[in-house]
Amino acid sequence: MNIEQLPIINLILFLFMALLIPLLKRRPFKITLILGFIVMCLVLASSSHLLWHVNEVGSFSYTFGGHEARYGIEFLLTPFSALFTWVIIILAMIIYIYSSGDATEGIEQSEYGRYYVLLFILLLSMFGILYTNDLFNTYVFIEILSITTCAIISIKKKKDTYTSAFRYVMMNEIGSLSYLFGVALIYMATGYTNISMVSESIQVAFASYPFNIVIALAFMVIGLGIKAAIFPFHIWLPDAHSSAPSTSSAILSAIVIKVYLLVLVKILFSVFGIDILEQMNMPLILLILSGTAMILGSIFAIAQKDVKRMLGYSSVAQVGYILLGISLLSFLGLRAAFFHIISHGLMKTALFLSVGEIIFYKKTRKVNDFDGMGFIMPVAMGVFSIAALGMIGLPLTSGFISKLNLGIAVLENNYLVFLVILIISSLLNVIYYLPIIILAFLRNEKYHYRMTTIEKTPRTMITPLILLGILIVSLGLFPNVIMPYIEAAVETFIS
Amino acid sequence: MKIRKMKVFDKMAKTNTLLVVFAMLLLSLFIAYASDWFSIKETFSNSDFYQTIMIAPWIQYLPIIIVVIPILGAIIEVLVAKKSIDERDKSVIYMGLLTLVIVVFIYPLALDDIIRLELPNVLLLGLSFRVDMLSYSVLLLSSFIWFFVMIYAHEYMKKEEKSTRFFFFLALTYSSVLGALMSGDLLTMFLFFEIMTVVSYMLVIHGQNDSSYKAGYNYIIMGLIGGFLILTALLLVYFNVGDLHFASAIERFDELGNLKYWVMGLLVFGFGIKAGMAPVHVWLPRAHPVAPTPASALLSGVMIKVGAFGIIRGASSYFFPSKDVVTSVNDPIWLTSQNIGAFIIWTGIITMALGVFLALQQENMKKMLAYHSVSQMGYIVTGIGVALYLGYQGAMGYSGAIYHIINHALFKSLLFMIAGVIYYHTKELNMYKLGGLWKKLPFTTLVFIVAALGISGFPLFNGYVSKTIIHHGLTEAYHYGSSSFIFAEIIFIIVSAGTACSFIKMGYYTFFKKTENNYDEIPYDYSSHDIALWAMALMIILIGLSPKFIMSHLIIPQLNMTTYDPDFINHYILGLNVFAIKDILTTLGIVGLGIIIFLLGKKYHLFHLRLPKWLSIEYIFFLPAYLLMKNLCRILYGDKCPYNEDDFKKLSEDDIEKVGFIDRFIITSNVLNRRYESSIIRADAMIYTVALLFVIIFMINLL
Repeated sequence: MNIEQLPIINLILFLFMALLIPLLKRRPFKITLILGFIVMCLVLASSSHLLWHVNEVGSFSYTFGGHEARYGIEFLLTPFSALFTWVIIILAMIIYIYSSGDATEGIEQSEYGRYYVLLFILLLSMFGILYTNDLFNTYVFIEILSITTCAIISIKKKKDTYTSAFRYVMMNEIGSLSYLFGVALIYMATGYTNISMVSESIQVAFASYPFNIVIALAFMVIGLGIKAAIFPFHIWLPDAHSSAPSTSSAILSAIVIKVYLLVLVKILFSVFGIDILEQMNMPLILLILSGTAMILGSIFAIAQKDVKRMLGYSSVAQVGYILLGISLLSFLGLRAAFFHIISHGLMKTALFLSVGEIIFYKKTRKVNDFDGMGFIMPVAMGVFSIAALGMIGLPLTSGFISKLNLGIAVLENNYLVFLVILIISSLLNVIYYLPIIILAFLRNEKYHYRMTTIEKTPRTMITPLILLGILIVSLGLFPNVIMPYIEAAVETFIS
Repeated sequence: MKIRKMKVFDKMAKTNTLLVVFAMLLLSLFIAYASDWFSIKETFSNSDFYQTIMIAPWIQYLPIIIVVIPILGAIIEVLVAKKSIDERDKSVIYMGLLTLVIVVFIYPLALDDIIRLELPNVLLLGLSFRVDMLSYSVLLLSSFIWFFVMIYAHEYMKKEEKSTRFFFFLALTYSSVLGALMSGDLLTMFLFFEIMTVVSYMLVIHGQNDSSYKAGYNYIIMGLIGGFLILTALLLVYFNVGDLHFASAIERFDELGNLKYWVMGLLVFGFGIKAGMAPVHVWLPRAHPVAPTPASALLSGVMIKVGAFGIIRGASSYFFPSKDVVTSVNDPIWLTSQNIGAFIIWTGIITMALGVFLALQQENMKKMLAYHSVSQMGYIVTGIGVALYLGYQGAMGYSGAIYHIINHALFKSLLFMIAGVIYYHTKELNMYKLGGLWKKLPFTTLVFIVAALGISGFPLFNGYVSKTIIHHGLTEAYHYGSSSFIFAEIIFIIVSAGTACSFIKMGYYTFFKKTENNYDEIPYDYSSHDIALWAMALMIILIGLSPKFIMSHLIIPQLNMTTYDPDFINHYILGLNVFAIKDILTTLGIVGLGIIIFLLGKKYHLFHLRLPKWLSIEYIFFLPAYLLMKNLCRILYGDKCPYNEDDFKKLSEDDIEKVGFIDRFIITSNVLNRRYESSIIRADAMIYTVALLFVIIFMINLL
């Protein structure tokens, strides 16, 4: 076996598993779960190997069917794609283990199989998006991704689920089509869809067809903005979160949104390049978007009564942080953005999963019902607190490192205003996260008696939570372990 | 009067007495070593043992060991608590003692400034620890006070619920305080500072009633705001200097124009929030009284000092030129610290005046003490201001600030502990409802007199020394600097008189006033309370009697380390005689003035005057925001405003105690949410089109 085939083997493994699950319908469900876990372990092993290989030996590309890259599909393995596929598979594994502890609340027993089929197709499309070096191929994977995401959101058979799923699919379709329109315009101006080739000829194309490029960029940024829930386009997100099962919310918030942001990074840096972006005033547009997202996302989060909606709006604000890092168009900025993608992925997963456990057992999602929850579910609430403190940006959590990175990056560009916005946004985070922790651990100890009445949480649900807590703290303590990989990933775009 | 028989209920009283005696022996050993009695210092530092220790690699890890001991203690304490309460208290006390022993024994190492630890790769930028004399003096003080308060808490917490949790978080707070004191760069300091804010929150809300939740919320929000201010300063320093170690950075800052004032302002306010500096002191008078007494004693005694320590640390390292560059006070490099210093002096003066003014109105003893903490922090801040303002010759202000940190820690924890003893026996904190306690609590009364004389700055007690030094500093400030500081001096004297008056008042109403209450239920006993109180009182008297010791063995080494004029130090600080006739007369005059104020106040009932609630600093400060939030909805959509009656009533509330700034903010954001959330969601296609249009216009326009 050749190392160059490993990425394709990853995809095939996912596809194979997705096809296998319906065939195993008659067998006990445990077999499916174990097989799925084995597949994930294999993918994790190969992704880790790829990460090592790409960083130690060097990037490589693979063209399908031996066609020339210009006509065919090319997979490009850079430190960037290797790192983020690795992060995605780790997060997905944690969520997978958790969901196997039958916390997929609200899903009927017969739908379990379908849920896992969707999960594997979702992973396949995300891996594809990151590996591929072709604009149109990216579109194909994006379509797969949005349709599966829609299905995974609406897997609960409830009326409000369908409305929010419908809104999601409409908005995302607008986004995908905008993206496709952008791709078409670029193809028209340059004659390529392969990213490396487009980037070589885009300067010339920009000189001869400036309007094509401008409109393409605008459509692509807005299209991906809708999908990544950047502030004024976040409208589908809170509803989708509040109606989806918790594991789906975790996947959506922690992974799917980030993948679209990564595509945006790819488009901005690899396709258009910093020169064109600066000429078109793109940094300013992105800065304005990110600033509003950071403040208004948090303000809307404060007002929410439903905890999952609140977490959704918090994601909107956090996407603002990542976008801020991207829009600085600098090495440090991109480094901060990438680090925050990882750290926010961990924290949001932890938040959604712990909230999921609480919803599963207490059947409540009102923030005000959280009193005394710390005594009923110490582990879930403990991990929730660690992640929430991380969101606030207290030291010893990965959130602090993100803030430190972002602060340094902002200062490098001398945007003192954004330093202030960063601090204000952190304070707003304090206002909505802190009362929940206080409520859960200190208020209303009359719930003490319930400690004995509660069902014992399955170990498969507790373990991933504890793992996430440990990861958040250790990433907060020793960020330098992962920094070289992130820096290598940044160097794919900015040397 | 017949002599009553004294009882001992407290099982651990005997061992605790022995432990305190042991601590006192340690102290005398320390004194003996420092002042080189029987030339033990020389013998020791020439001994092989010391020479091997100096080069031993594990010595570098001492800061980590000191930080970890309380954490281990906390864990052991929780484990032991399941078996027996006494065992748990023992583990807590021995943990304090162990830390104390280690801290006392590292004095020679701190004097040589050889404990430095670098931990690169941790927290992205790396942590570092350093124990020099500045950290050591506060470290020594904290560990002594913490140990005594632990002894005291053993007895006091018997009547409180959930004491295991309390001791657990107390130990964690201790660990973070020690870490903050030993930090060698701003990031480490910030790290421990934030941990301290979070874990000490659990001490503030220990009572778990409405007032403690409110105070606690106030405390943690302001604490975190302070943390964010420090974080901003940290980022600015890191980006512009490239190094966070506490070392001179003024030359780099001078190239940055006004940014340096921002950095210092952020540091001063960030640490100042914790230090209880006006106008950001508002959390302090709320949080300290609601915490259980041992926690208030430590909050007021040690924790707010960490804030002052942070200001001194930041200012005297980053904003002072390095030692080998400067030769005179007229160097233009001092200009920055001069400007900052003038600002800090006035903040300090305002803080002390405000604190004492509000303290005089209080009837709750703990609240009064908390306001006095604000006022006394004003002295310290003034001292720091002088230290910066006079630049090369600011040694007097610096020593005054450090000395007052030490003294205030001693007498304020003692006073809180006394208030705690009174509360323990009578369940009453309102001083007007007490009286005649001197018959029932004679020891406590005596100790109170010592502490009151200390805080009022009476000669032969410790407060006198540091207040005199700060007074000298202020005098120098208007001699060498601006003459406007003469007003500062006048306020200083009035505030000192107010302090004296306040404690005459407290003593009169609680201990000496005639009352109908007999307090028969108060036992005449000997307990761990008394031991701890006596130990602290003894230290107050010792310092008062020989003020030179701390000066020459803790403060002068720091001055030599900092960029101060060696001639000035040799001439003025070494030769300083605090017992000059003029100073004693001034102090006696101040105390006399205090008595006069007290008599006048008592006669005309001035102590019962209350200012209207809307005059409070918080209200005035937030008034524009309040008005805006109240009328926001009206501004946005006229009469169709979707306020609930309840919300509107809360927003128009004048009393900030009932509805605070954050509550109002949440209500406003709820209103905004109700109005806009669904309409934004419904406007999906609209937003898409408009955004697209704007982005394209924006891009083309500027092509």
